[in-house]
Amino acid sequence: MTAINTISELESLRTKLQDYRKRFKASLVICGGTGCRASRSHDLIRKVKEELAKQQLEDSVLIRATGCHGFCEQGPIVVVEPENIFYCGVSPDDAQDIIIKTICNNEIIERLLYTDPVSGKTFERESEIPFYLAQDRQLLAQNRQIDPCSIEDYIAIGGYSALEKAIAGMAPEVIIGEITAAGLRGRGGGGFPTGRKWTECREAPGDEKYVICNADEGDPGAYMDRCLLEGNPHLVIEGMMIGALAIGAQQGHVYVRNEYPLAVGNSKVAVQQARELGLLGKNILGSSFSFDVAISRGGGAFVCGESTALMASLEGKAGEPRSKDVHTVVDGLWHKPTTLNNVETWANVPSIILKGSDWFASRGSETSKGTKILALTGHIKNTGLVEVAMGTTLGTVVFGIGGGSSTGRPIRAVQTGGPSGGCLPVERFDLPVEFDALAEAGSMVGSGGIVVMDEETCMVDVAKYFLTFLQDESCGKCVSCRLGIDRMLEIITDITEGHGKPEQIELLEELAYTISETALCGLGKTAANPVLSTLRYFREEYDAHIRQNKCPAGVCQALITYSIDPEKCTGCGICMRDCPFDAVSGEKKTPHVIDIALCQKCGICRSQCKSEAIYVS
Amino acid sequence: MSQDKLASILEGRRSQPQQLIEVLQDVQKNYGYISEDAMKAVSKELGTPLIEVYSVASFYKAFSLKPRGKNVIKVCTGTACHVRGAKLILNQAVAQLGVEPNETTEDGLFTVEHVNCLGACALAPIVTENGSTHHHMNPGKLRKLIDSLNGNGGSSE
Amino acid sequence: MIKQVTINIDGIDISVAKGSSVLDAALGYGICIPHLCRLPYISDIGACRLCIVEHVKDGRSKITTSCTLLVQEGMVILSNTERIRKLRHNIAELIVAEAPNSRAIQDLAIRCGVREVRYPFRNSDCILCGRCVRACTGKFGVKPIGFVGRGKDRRVEAPFDLRSELCNECGRCIDLCPMTVLPCDGPMKEGEERLCGKCESKMGLAEETPGFCVFCDLGEGFQCERFLGG
Repeated sequence: MTAINTISELESLRTKLQDYRKRFKASLVICGGTGCRASRSHDLIRKVKEELAKQQLEDSVLIRATGCHGFCEQGPIVVVEPENIFYCGVSPDDAQDIIIKTICNNEIIERLLYTDPVSGKTFERESEIPFYLAQDRQLLAQNRQIDPCSIEDYIAIGGYSALEKAIAGMAPEVIIGEITAAGLRGRGGGGFPTGRKWTECREAPGDEKYVICNADEGDPGAYMDRCLLEGNPHLVIEGMMIGALAIGAQQGHVYVRNEYPLAVGNSKVAVQQARELGLLGKNILGSSFSFDVAISRGGGAFVCGESTALMASLEGKAGEPRSKDVHTVVDGLWHKPTTLNNVETWANVPSIILKGSDWFASRGSETSKGTKILALTGHIKNTGLVEVAMGTTLGTVVFGIGGGSSTGRPIRAVQTGGPSGGCLPVERFDLPVEFDALAEAGSMVGSGGIVVMDEETCMVDVAKYFLTFLQDESCGKCVSCRLGIDRMLEIITDITEGHGKPEQIELLEELAYTISETALCGLGKTAANPVLSTLRYFREEYDAHIRQNKCPAGVCQALITYSIDPEKCTGCGICMRDCPFDAVSGEKKTPHVIDIALCQKCGICRSQCKSEAIYVS
Repeated sequence: MSQDKLASILEGRRSQPQQLIEVLQDVQKNYGYISEDAMKAVSKELGTPLIEVYSVASFYKAFSLKPRGKNVIKVCTGTACHVRGAKLILNQAVAQLGVEPNETTEDGLFTVEHVNCLGACALAPIVTENGSTHHHMNPGKLRKLIDSLNGNGGSSE
Repeated sequence: MIKQVTINIDGIDISVAKGSSVLDAALGYGICIPHLCRLPYISDIGACRLCIVEHVKDGRSKITTSCTLLVQEGMVILSNTERIRKLRHNIAELIVAEAPNSRAIQDLAIRCGVREVRYPFRNSDCILCGRCVRACTGKFGVKPIGFVGRGKDRRVEAPFDLRSELCNECGRCIDLCPMTVLPCDGPMKEGEERLCGKCESKMGLAEETPGFCVFCDLGEGFQCERFLGG
């Protein structure tokens, strides 16, 4: 492809690409995101291509292998355009049927349609499905329209026109003014006003400046950044370009988790394509603006989500945060002024520039504008990525979109915001998902992970889980975080093992306060949130562990025993076969028994029992 | 250690200390771990003191300083997998193979690792075996997977 | 000529050279802000968190370490408020519980008001203050030692745990290590997690007059600014 040197050249290319697309009578959209790949979607894509060749339909049916649609649980997903017929759980063997029946004969294949687990109804079109219906997919909807490895696709749907607009007629101050007026706040966790960050960075002295995209999505249970970067990398790059233009940066970096190979690969392809087209490089679109982007792989450290640690890592050092008495907008990467934003924040920029701040601010709550992508996971019927206007209540998300509990047991709580967030009980599901309300309730929006937990989840164990995670991920530089988390975990472990003392709760609270006030970086300052929020809402569960030596949810290994109900046991022998510790014995077709002395309480037998004969007491 | 491969990894990156992590990523990918010799070579070629190479290699999770087994079983223990029973899966792997997480079996066939999130939370619990993903795992499925890898000697990465 | 700025610490206006840290300024004036990981004339990292102060700005106070905070004209610092004393106490308690038999750490803990320790003792050889790592120059300016691992595995080591040929055997790492001050044979036994503070009479004085430098022996061992006549 030849390089583009002016805005009008880009516009005529766009028209040409749109015309090309119109030539096809139908499109097959096949999700090739990480989730669907795990469900063998690449085999499906190959099979569909073979089948189209066989039917000689290659010139009239377009195949589009897209990024993640966010409904991974139903994968692989196929959408037949233009009617938008939605098929889920498609296997490579279905390829022939889809092409012959649906494409050639306009027949709908009943067995591939989506059945709503809540109502039992079957739906033909994506837009009718309750999971999608309640969402406001401003960012995610684009993933469906493009092949992430095709800059042509992105340009055809209007991509890079925000850049055109910014280069053609917006002064840096006007761009920043627009972002500020939109009320965009950082999507990575803190919710810091993006416009203010850009202003400070623009005003910081120095000619050499940087923009960084933080794609080190370390929050376990959140994957919206993965989805955006692997499904729509050009959107993120366009956002970064506009940011760079506004603050006066010449170089950008995308710092991606190495655990996301597809995101690394697709973003590298995107950068290469943009360079070839002349959208990255010197004198972009004939202007005086020059900019390039480098993709760096993270080394696998949660703490590198913290801005100063990420910058240290980009410089090739261990990811240790440093004191932020001077902000990174003044003293950042290589000690130069640096603007660091999260993937989702950058992805919001192009549409704000294109459609205006009023359009963006028309969604959301008083203090949190726009939409937010949430990763809905755990004990819930519809797991996946959901994008809703800020201010939507937790209840709407969990019950309306998520469809409620998947286990048959009532939902007890959600954990929001990852290791820096907290647990909120079902009684507080009236809370709106927005920065300030969740922070006030002791949790946070964070990057947007929402893990739903049913009644068999022990809240003390959840706090222990996060402390273990944080102990593992703390860089260890400062005393508050390294020793503080270690001692909190020591106390919580005592409690889950039945050696807890009532006065330890007070110590736990004091320790939590100390860490949050004195830790060096954001990881440490928020590390106590999982403990504080569970103490705040589930105090009685701590008390049960400490005073009665009981784990009400039946989770903490030291406080429970596994037994087999002789009434229910059919003597099938599965538990005996699967027990790694030979703790189960019994004759075939007679009730089995567990030897408590040998039992390590791993729970494997219970998870494998088909007659639910194994119980916890 | 093949010198050619290392030389090709270092190509175009010599005397650029900021490339340290990228170089180590590629060493890890090609050799399966980062040996003392590799660290010494990287230190010399990039012009980074050995202690800094060592401290970076030991800081990040992506790097293993010991050779890993022929089959690498990674159990995701992210929050979504945790609440759907990742602990049971890890228990199964650990008990069946008789090694602790991040250790390698004596015959060098298996390494069990836990990772903090693979970003496929909707399909939890997740296990990867030599890079390919298995979703909706349970202890039984993992037992069969390990058995099958044991039976045919396993596949290489 | 070095530019001077005026800052206010605990109600006292202090004129100090631009570029110094708040901790330097305070120590130079005789205000004692307890500190452990700091080394004069060598960059500070804010690892031990003991030198925390309240930095009051626009009516709001933010807690930060004074060793990493550089002075600015008109800065208002509170080093000895009840909030700071409590937090500092809790941090010192965490540190002393790791190294209960180091006299230097004991003294420091008592200086911060710790008597009872609410955690089980661990006898660590190293509390990761990093004084050795930062003081070390090595041969040809290349350090033979550094921080290795992360989180609870973090430790100071030479690569591959071998004695490095880069060590020029100057002994500074040992001189500056708080663990090498002779241990006391006092009360540090399991089940008796408390500090008597008897062996250092000046410590008692320091406890009664928090905020003032009493030229403690600790300062000598640690090369505190006042001891170097700074």
